[in-house]
Amino acid sequence: MTSVLELKGVTRAFNDYIAVNGFDLTVNEGELRCLLGPNGAGKTTSLDLITGRQKLTSGSVHLRGNDITHMSEQQIARQGVGRKFQVPAVFKELSVKDNFEVAFTRERGPFANMAVMRRSDGEARYNEIIEIVGLGDRLEVPAGLLSHGETQWLEIGMVLMQDPSLLLMDEPTAGMTEQETAKTSDIFNELKGTHTLIVVEHDMSFVREIADIITVMHMGSLLAEGTISEIENNSVVREVYLGSEGIS
Amino acid sequence: MNGNIYHNRKAQWVAYVAVFVLLALVPTVFDNPFTLNQLARYSVFALLAVSVSLIWGFGGILSLGQGIAFGLASYGMGMTMQMQFQNPEYDPIPSFMLTNELETLPLLWEPFLSTPVGLILTILVPTGFFVIFGILMFQARVAGVFVAIMTLAMLAAWYSMAYDMQPFTAGFNGISPPLPLQIFGGEVDPYSPLAYWICVGVLATLTLATKALLHTKFGLIVQAIRDDAERARFLGYNVAYYQVVVFAISGFLAAWAGLCWVMIVQYVSPTSMEIAFSISMVVWAAVGGRASLLGAIIGAFMVNGIQSYLGDELQQVWMLILGAIFIGVVLFLPRGIAGLLELILSKVPFGRGPSGAQWSAETGTEEKAS
Amino acid sequence: MSVHDFWTPFSLLPFLNALIIGISLASIWLIAALGLAIIYGTMGVINMAHGELIMLGAYTTYVFQSLVGVPFLICLPLAFFVVAAIGWVIERGVIRTLYTRPLDTLLATWGLSLILIQSVRLIFGGEPQYVGVPSWLNFQIDASFVHLSGLRLFIVLMAIILVTLTWYILYRTTLGIRVRAVMQDKEMAASFGIDANRVYSLTFAYGAGLAGAAGAMFGALKTLFPDMGSAYVVEAFLVVVVGGIGLIGSVFSSALLGELNSVFSYFTNDTFARFVLFTLVVVFLRFRPQGIISEGMGRR
Repeated sequence: MTSVLELKGVTRAFNDYIAVNGFDLTVNEGELRCLLGPNGAGKTTSLDLITGRQKLTSGSVHLRGNDITHMSEQQIARQGVGRKFQVPAVFKELSVKDNFEVAFTRERGPFANMAVMRRSDGEARYNEIIEIVGLGDRLEVPAGLLSHGETQWLEIGMVLMQDPSLLLMDEPTAGMTEQETAKTSDIFNELKGTHTLIVVEHDMSFVREIADIITVMHMGSLLAEGTISEIENNSVVREVYLGSEGIS
Repeated sequence: MNGNIYHNRKAQWVAYVAVFVLLALVPTVFDNPFTLNQLARYSVFALLAVSVSLIWGFGGILSLGQGIAFGLASYGMGMTMQMQFQNPEYDPIPSFMLTNELETLPLLWEPFLSTPVGLILTILVPTGFFVIFGILMFQARVAGVFVAIMTLAMLAAWYSMAYDMQPFTAGFNGISPPLPLQIFGGEVDPYSPLAYWICVGVLATLTLATKALLHTKFGLIVQAIRDDAERARFLGYNVAYYQVVVFAISGFLAAWAGLCWVMIVQYVSPTSMEIAFSISMVVWAAVGGRASLLGAIIGAFMVNGIQSYLGDELQQVWMLILGAIFIGVVLFLPRGIAGLLELILSKVPFGRGPSGAQWSAETGTEEKAS
Repeated sequence: MSVHDFWTPFSLLPFLNALIIGISLASIWLIAALGLAIIYGTMGVINMAHGELIMLGAYTTYVFQSLVGVPFLICLPLAFFVVAAIGWVIERGVIRTLYTRPLDTLLATWGLSLILIQSVRLIFGGEPQYVGVPSWLNFQIDASFVHLSGLRLFIVLMAIILVTLTWYILYRTTLGIRVRAVMQDKEMAASFGIDANRVYSLTFAYGAGLAGAAGAMFGALKTLFPDMGSAYVVEAFLVVVVGGIGLIGSVFSSALLGELNSVFSYFTNDTFARFVLFTLVVVFLRFRPQGIISEGMGRR
């Protein structure tokens, strides 16, 4: 199996605070990896480091063998890393359709895109995407008017429009109702196998629905890695993360 | 097609063309040279409002420095026209330079001896400056109010240069070219229908070109960056590059305004780079509707029209009225007159698709049509 | 001016005097910027009407001094309180509704500045007015390279006093603790029972009051015009953006900008110095954008 993403000794230190400390992670083709950990464990910071939003203090990030450690955000995105943010980020004043259109990034430069008339190329692609994420009846609506769940799906759909080889999903079910969460787990199960994903999530029942392998972080480092049952029975994990609450 | 005719692209184009045709027909009705010159001035202001609408309404970048491009172009045009009067053989130096003890023509103004070169530089220099200035700001990811402050500081810097470099700019007095623009063997009398048509023609051409540009994917991405620059960056777009390009285009539009302005007033002074003037451009665009090029044009015509036709009595309180209007628009009508129109038209049934009510004044933009 | 004498060669004593002028200039800019910096630092509001608040302070002083006969030293606190009251009303009336829209605040406050200028012009007329310099400040220090008027010395002292006072309020009073709490995290402060809206009103009023006090001094320094505020506002903004958030930043940046301006003026002339300085600031912000990047790292 080829590894899609490989993190080696990734470290991010602020003056006297180490957010991520010597973190190693390998994610293989077609895998759905869940990243767990208490608040402040360094999950979102790790995603920031992979996508270039923050710079590494030391360590390296490789995507399919290419060193992307020192690339800018847009270069990493072009290498095929798509990211959904924790707080959903969509283009609020543009329609859902236009959001998809912007996410369809065949041409990147401004001058090349001046020659691209809109709504020509992206259409076939977003017809496939709305098969997966829905929103087919909301295409003309400005994204700012979508419900919270719909906004999450739109952002997932936009990341898919990019056709990335690695998808990073930061808390995709945050703030969702039970039905919305159920639909979201359907979406992820559909993506599994054909896409490589890293999902940061708190909702354990959701994690059980979708996860192959779980990586648990604690204080910026790797605490444990394994299948859902291995993690649930790992005494160290129980102690530091699940604590008195247990796995609900 | 959807529920509001305001968002219908064909209807938009029809409205734009109709307005420009109406403007072009004005000289056939009024032949008062003063009125024509006045309207030509408004067209120049309208073009400035369009440049603000592009950079602010669509690009999300509040530039208070559009006067830099306008002013630089004004000086370029002023010197082009001044040098037409000078004779390179035996009278190459404008009188204001002589009174300021210059014995040779400064190298800076040398190229302006040639009218075509002068005209090209009039547009090229401000646009080039906006490219450099844009790179400086947007590569550092300066955004929001800091762009406003930096553009303001730059404008103030240029203003003091124009004011102070007397031998080069005639300082506070400004440059008054003795003759109208001589071109293609004729001259452009500032009070003639020709001058008016040139101004309206430039306004129409550049506005329609800008509108067409906003309909391309480039335009869509610019608006996406306005809504969420970081999201766009994580989709792989070089946000700074797009911002520099759209900033330069807005400078290009303002430069054309400067060129036309000096053509119809035959005068340039540091006031072209006054802070209050640059902010006025923002007021016009805001009142008309920052997210609509046509709205910005209407805003410029309306605000300036009202100002000119108030009696002397009311002129005293004009700034009070303008300030109040402006606060009112910012507080209660952030999308200006165009937003109001959008809201009204949403009540009028049109075509198929989702009901117009979804496109509230707060969220709809003009360019969203299909 | 002719091109030949554009560049003044270096000579020690006049240059030292330029440095002294720089300190005087820095104190003026600091006083002008202090209120702006506090309002921006706490509320994130760019107040374009700040220059007009300074102008109101100057006219308040003029009214009390010339029409009522109040001594100058008493006019200072009066200008502070009158303009603070006006600021309080402005915050309640306009700024409050715009906290989530910083660019719109900038524009609305500019609309406000038009109204203030025109109102003053309607009341006092467009002709210049004067604030009398009290006789005890009517002296001039002329010792070797030092040439400084009593008033300018007074302004330097006032800058020190106002900064100290502001520092004391921010760091040594419960109100100051509240202000700093709101500055750091509005939601968190609210959960501790701090009424952020009240803190904002008071902060804006205090910032406006400082502008008023500044106006009282600038009125004595220069003539009063309804649009005199615009002369200070760009420099004040630059002091704030270069300094970043915080009192120390403003003190340091005003000192830096004042000295640089004075030194450039010495070698060239006032307006060219202004051009160089403003351009430098723009370039500086390009390379040290700390505290001026609007996309906060913690946003997502």
